[in-house]
Amino acid sequence: MSRMQLEISLGILMVLATGTILIYQGLREQDRMAFFEQEQRAQAIEVGADLFDINCKGCHGPQGEGTPGLCPPLNDKYFFTNRLKDVGWSGSLEDYIVATVSGGRLVSTRPDQYPGNVRPAMPAWSDRYGGPLREDQIRYIAAFVLNWESTAPDRQQAPVLAGPPVGTDITQKLPAGDAAKGQTLATSLGCVGCHVAGNTGPAWIPSAEQPGIGQRATTRFTQSDYTGKATSAEQYLLESIVDPAVYKVPGFDTVLMPATFGQTMTAQDAADLIAYLLTLK
Amino acid sequence: MLKSLKFQDFRKKTADAIDNRVRIITAGLGLNELRAVMRGDPPTEKPNPRYKVHTTSFLFHIRPRYYEKGSTIFAHTFRLGFFTSFFFFVELFTGLILMIYYTPDPALAYNSILDLLSNVPYGQVLRDLHRLGAEGMVIFTVLHMLRTFLTGSYKKDRSFTWLTGVALLGITLFLSFSGYLLPWDQLSYWAVTIGTSMADAAPLFGTQANLLLRGAPDIGAGGLLRFYLIHVVLFPLLAILVISVHYYKVSREHGISLPAKIDEGNPPLEVKKEAKQRIDYIPDLLSHEVFLTALGLLLLTAMVTIFNYHAPLEHVANPQVTPLDTKAPWYFWWLQGMLKVDPASIIEHLFARVGIKVELSALLNSKQIMGIVLPTILVGVLVGVPYIDRNPYRSLFKRPVAVGFGLLFSLTIIMLSYMGLPQYGIQTPAATRILQDLAPEEGVGPLREVPFDQLRVGVYEVSNTIPKNLCPEMKGGCPDLTRVFAEFSQQVNFAATNPHLAPYQRLPKAKAVLLIEDWQKDLRKITMRIVWDDVTSGQSKTYEHRVFLHREHGAE
Repeated sequence: MSRMQLEISLGILMVLATGTILIYQGLREQDRMAFFEQEQRAQAIEVGADLFDINCKGCHGPQGEGTPGLCPPLNDKYFFTNRLKDVGWSGSLEDYIVATVSGGRLVSTRPDQYPGNVRPAMPAWSDRYGGPLREDQIRYIAAFVLNWESTAPDRQQAPVLAGPPVGTDITQKLPAGDAAKGQTLATSLGCVGCHVAGNTGPAWIPSAEQPGIGQRATTRFTQSDYTGKATSAEQYLLESIVDPAVYKVPGFDTVLMPATFGQTMTAQDAADLIAYLLTLK
Repeated sequence: MLKSLKFQDFRKKTADAIDNRVRIITAGLGLNELRAVMRGDPPTEKPNPRYKVHTTSFLFHIRPRYYEKGSTIFAHTFRLGFFTSFFFFVELFTGLILMIYYTPDPALAYNSILDLLSNVPYGQVLRDLHRLGAEGMVIFTVLHMLRTFLTGSYKKDRSFTWLTGVALLGITLFLSFSGYLLPWDQLSYWAVTIGTSMADAAPLFGTQANLLLRGAPDIGAGGLLRFYLIHVVLFPLLAILVISVHYYKVSREHGISLPAKIDEGNPPLEVKKEAKQRIDYIPDLLSHEVFLTALGLLLLTAMVTIFNYHAPLEHVANPQVTPLDTKAPWYFWWLQGMLKVDPASIIEHLFARVGIKVELSALLNSKQIMGIVLPTILVGVLVGVPYIDRNPYRSLFKRPVAVGFGLLFSLTIIMLSYMGLPQYGIQTPAATRILQDLAPEEGVGPLREVPFDQLRVGVYEVSNTIPKNLCPEMKGGCPDLTRVFAEFSQQVNFAATNPHLAPYQRLPKAKAVLLIEDWQKDLRKITMRIVWDDVTSGQSKTYEHRVFLHREHGAE
C-alpha cells in the first residue's frame, strides 16, 4: 500500500470514528442538558442562600421565619398557598418574589400585622430602582425562597410560648437571666433587623462614639428628660422592650418598634435578653 | 444522416461532452486524468494538467503546485503551521454557529451561555471545541514560531514571511483574549480587567487607550460590545488577510524551507536530488491535508467528549467582588509576572552591594517599564530577528549565539509565566489562604467535592489529634469529609505551631472550627472559622468563610 492509500484509508476510518463519537454524544445530549439544568438550579439556590444571608435575614430571619410585628415570614405555608390570591397577583410566585424584592414595598399590604420599616415598608433592592442587587441576583434569591415550599411550616397561629408572656408590667420580678442565651435571642427574635449601626454591628455594642447599652441603661433613667417609670437599669431595658412608646431617646422621635413584644416573649426570654444587654458596658 | 449517428461516433461525442463538463468542474482535469489521480498514476497529458488547476481555480491558486520532498519531512515541520490554520478554521466554523446563540449584553450574555449549555443540542460540544481550538491555535502558533526559529527558516528570502508570522502571533493572542470576556463570568471579567489595565500603564495615551478599549472606566455594556465586535469582525478579518499573505509567501513564492543539512554544506548529490523531488499538490499533498484534517477533528472531538475537556464557566461577572487568585489568561501570565518585578529596587540593591546609595524609584515607574517599555522591546526583537541575526548559516550548530539567545528567551518567558501565578510573590494571610484552598470562591476545591450525604450536621473543632473518621456512626463513615477536615486541621496546626514562619503566614493560638448546619431542603450551610491572636498587635482576630452546598450542585 502506498503512503497515500494508507492515509486515505486511515482518514476514512477516523472520519467514521469522529461520526460515531458525535452520534453517541448526540444520544446523550438530552440527559446532559437536563442534568446541567438541575445543576444550575442547585447552584442558583446556593448563591441565593448566600445573598439572602447577607441582605434579607436581618428582617425576614435567617431561616425566613420573619420578625413578629415587623416583617412577614417567608418560610411559611401561607406564603406558598394563599399569598398570591390575597394580593390578587396573576403571575407566578417566582415573579411575585422578584417583583417585590426588586421594587420593594412603598406601603405594607398588612400594616397592622407587618408594618415593616413604615415608609417604605421594604426598600427596593434592584439596582434599577437604586438598590444594591442585579436582576440575576434577585432571581437567585427567589430560587432560594422557593426552595422552602415543600417544608414550610404553618405559622398562622401565634407562636407557642414556653411560658406565660411577660406582659407590660415593668415592676415585676424576672427570673435569673442567661447572657449567652440572650445573645442568641437578639438574633432569633429579629432585634438585629432594625438595631444595626452601619458596619460595626448591632447598635447596642460599645463603639467609639458611645458606651454599650449596658452602660447607657444605668444612667438613662436618671436623666431629667426621662419620661418613663423605670427605677433601675433592668426595668429601663424591660420597659424599652415591652412598652417602647413611653420614652423617646433624643434623636429617635418616631416610635418604629412594635409594641407587641410583651405578648410574644416569655419572662425568661426577657430576663435572658436583659442579662445579655447588661454585659455590654 | 444515419451514418453520422453511428454508435461509436455517438459514444465518442458523449464521452467528449462529459469529459468537457468534468474539465470545467475540476478546472482542468479530464476524466482520464481524474482516474489517474485517484489511482496514484503519473499525469496522462502534457503539459501537466494537475498544475493547470492552480491557474484556473481561485481556491487552488493560493495552494502550492508542489513542495520539495525534503521540506515535507515530518520531523522538519511537525505540521505545526498546518495545524495552526486548521485550528483557525475550527474557530471560524464553531464561532459562526455560536454567534447564533449569543447576545453581547451584560444582562443577557451569561444567560445565553447557560442557554447554550442547557437547551442547545451539541451546545456544550461547540463551546468546548471553540475553547479548545483557541488554546490549540495559541499553542501551535508559538510552537510553529519556535520551529521556524530553530531551523533558521526566517533568513534571506523568508524575512518578510517571519514578519507576517509575528503579526499573526499578536493577532492570535488578541483574538483569544478578546473572546475571553464574552461569557461574562467572574473568570473572564477579571482576567480582562487585569489585561486591559496593563494598557493603562502606557505613557501619554494609556488612559485613553484603556477607555477606548473598555468604553468606560470599568468594563460594562460598552466594553462588552467592543470586545465582541473586535472578536467577531475586526480580528478575524485581519487574521484572514495576514494569514493569506503569510501562506501565499510559503505556498507560491519560496516554499517550505529545506532542512539545513540538505540546504547548506555539501550533501551527496543523490541525497540532494531526492530532496529536490517534487511532491505534487494533486494528489499527494491534498490527500495528506485531508488526512491531517481527519486526524485533527478526531482528536478534538475525542478531547471534548471522551476525555472530558470542558471550557470553564464560573459565576456571573460581579464588578463589585474581585475573587481571590484572579489571573490573566495563561498566555499573558508572563506579562503579569513582569509586572511583579520592580527594576528600580533591583538596581538599588545591586548598587547597595558595592556601597553606592541611589534613589531610582522616583525616576523609574516600574509599571511603565515592565508593562509597556519591555514588552515593546520584546516585540521589537521578535520582529527584528531576521535583521539582527546576520549569520548566513541555518544549521543549529553553526549559529550557537542565536540558538542560545532563543533558548534563553523561551526559558525567561516560562519563568516569568510562573512568576505571574497568584502563588508567587503575593502575601495572602494564612487564614484566608487556608480557607481559599479548601473552598475557593470560584471553582470547585476539596470541600465542594465532598458528596452531600457525607456532610454530617455538627460542630467539628480542630485540635492536635486529627480524627480518623468524623462520623463513625454512619455506614461507611465519611472519608471525604474526614480528609477535608484533616487537611484543615493540619494547615491550621502548622500555622499555629511554627514560630519561624513569616508573620503573615502565622496563626498564633489558633482555634478553628468547621460547622455544618442543615439549612433548607437539600441545602447545607458550612462555616469554617479561624480565631487567632494577631502577630503584631496581639489582638484576637477572626476570619470566616461560609459555603452553601446543595445536593445536586454537581462539580461545575
